[in-house]
Amino acid sequence: MTPVASVQLLGASFFSTHHASAHDAVAGRQRDVTAPAFKLLVARARRFTSLATQLHLEVCGALPVDAAEPPITVFATCHGEIQTAETLVADFHTNAMVSSARFALSVHNTPSGLYSVATGSHAPSTTVTGANAIAMGWLEAALTALDAGRTVLLSIADEPVPAVFQGPTEPAGVAAAFLLAPASATGRRAQLVTTPSTDDLDLPTLLVLARAVDAWTREEPATIALGALHPGARLELRLP
Amino acid sequence: MTDGLAITGAAVANCLGTDNPTVFDRAFAGIEAFSPATAFFEFPFSTALGILPALEASGDDGLACTPTRVANVALASVRQLRPAVRAAALRWGARRIAYVFASSTGGLEETERSLAPDPRLPSSSGGYRYADHGIDATSAAVARYFGIEGACMALSTACSSSFKALASAARLIHHGLADAVVVGSADSLCRTTVFGFHSLGLLAPTATTPFALGRCGITLGEGSAYVLIERDTEVTRGHALGWIAGMGAASDAFHHTSPHPDGLGGQLCMRQALDRAGLTPNDIDYVSAHGTGTRLNDTAEAVAVSRVFERPIPLTATKSLTGHTLGSAGLTSLVLAIESLRRQEIPATLRATPVDDTLGVAIVDRRTPARLQHVLVNAFGFGGSNASVVVSQRPRRS
Repeated sequence: MTPVASVQLLGASFFSTHHASAHDAVAGRQRDVTAPAFKLLVARARRFTSLATQLHLEVCGALPVDAAEPPITVFATCHGEIQTAETLVADFHTNAMVSSARFALSVHNTPSGLYSVATGSHAPSTTVTGANAIAMGWLEAALTALDAGRTVLLSIADEPVPAVFQGPTEPAGVAAAFLLAPASATGRRAQLVTTPSTDDLDLPTLLVLARAVDAWTREEPATIALGALHPGARLELRLP
Repeated sequence: MTDGLAITGAAVANCLGTDNPTVFDRAFAGIEAFSPATAFFEFPFSTALGILPALEASGDDGLACTPTRVANVALASVRQLRPAVRAAALRWGARRIAYVFASSTGGLEETERSLAPDPRLPSSSGGYRYADHGIDATSAAVARYFGIEGACMALSTACSSSFKALASAARLIHHGLADAVVVGSADSLCRTTVFGFHSLGLLAPTATTPFALGRCGITLGEGSAYVLIERDTEVTRGHALGWIAGMGAASDAFHHTSPHPDGLGGQLCMRQALDRAGLTPNDIDYVSAHGTGTRLNDTAEAVAVSRVFERPIPLTATKSLTGHTLGSAGLTSLVLAIESLRRQEIPATLRATPVDDTLGVAIVDRRTPARLQHVLVNAFGFGGSNASVVVSQRPRRS
């Protein structure tokens, strides 16, 4: 086990279209499918937003932030705006044109842009993606908090991948946000460590996020595997 | 945070060519390289595109992944950078070299050929796999090609992507997770982006004319750009092509696709990059603009540059040469800036005349010899995502 970064965790939020809480998700208790309310966006700005964007904004909006010094934001997503991508490809294939509004919201950093507009924040923002987006999102957020000496809002979300892509089959849209601060701040200590790992199994996003938020909410110690850092090693979140 | 990062390798490929010497010679000679869009696809509108020339055989075995269009675009740069990465691996060990990759569309073109097959295009390469769709579709193959085993990360923030990747790479070195990082970016042409930018009214019907009075939009291009950055030591100084002196990032917080009218995010990130470099605006010899050629983008960037520099600083727009390579745009301009430091000349902005004098900036409209030490490069994107990098000829402490 090799320590990578130590930060303070100031808050966490969770949303799943299929589970009422992180604890229910860990326990496997489902609810009727529920859409995010994502109240951060006013009516006009809500049009054409994807489920992925709505999920990010739902969990980000649930965490109180200092408007005078807004956090740097790190968004993470394995699949990005995958449902919008399917629609755009189908549109130009069928109609030889695409919706300008939909195209504008098709980039991976759509939630980042809409969050900064909605909150008036000029703070830097980035978007981590790919198969190990949860692990690298945590790493990016922790290192950024330590570098900048200020709070970082980490938001991780993914919407279901349309069947036509022949990709992952997770049915729930799921998101979690975490407010991180440098080690000098008050809060609950969170450590990122690397451990040897010989398996390359994809960790289910729902359970990774639900376990982290559930451990935070219940103030219980936990070790949560976040994903691959490099071949032969994975990143873990430890909440002592 | 960014002090002391040596750039020990750089590679670029785009419509100008598939190797550094060709790209550099054509860029500094101001050679036009755009093609009619019909060379890529029969779009129901006119525009120009920057298309990567066919890759010549290199004698190596290429990338061990599906041979998608974006993998081909990446390969053009990756194979040029391999000797520098191999040398770094000998210095630091393969486990100490990380890979951070950035793209805006990733494998979307492969997805298009599978989900929207067109008889005029080759079919999807050897059966569609979802893993070929993502931004990180080529990451594992590129890391294997280099023989590096450090952390592997992918980012996507539209047209600022590659500079965000550079900042993440610097953090990995600063916090001891790596001693060297390959920072790469690649975006291939795909139908979604061409239709998409057309739907927004942002595509130029002919070759783009950044900062010109009659500018009317973007010319999209495909391309890749890679740099190898290393912790600054006596050894790496001997290999350095230049130094990352400072980086800055900020959000517009104005509109998802339109820039802040005063380029506020651009101002903030340029000032931050200067602060981190320990430089003043007067130390910068020229600005390599994001310069997409749209009316609003160029106006906002010109305002931002004018407010930060408070003098008519020379400004050039390399997208007039390469086209807008989206997620690869920042690193593409950075690699050209490194070459400009070596040559001591500023590449011209093609087709910039008649210049829009209302912008109040000094457009470099011809190849210009100059004494150059520090260049500031901008990369701005959708989501109001802005980033700037100062690249210097010498390390700060010397």
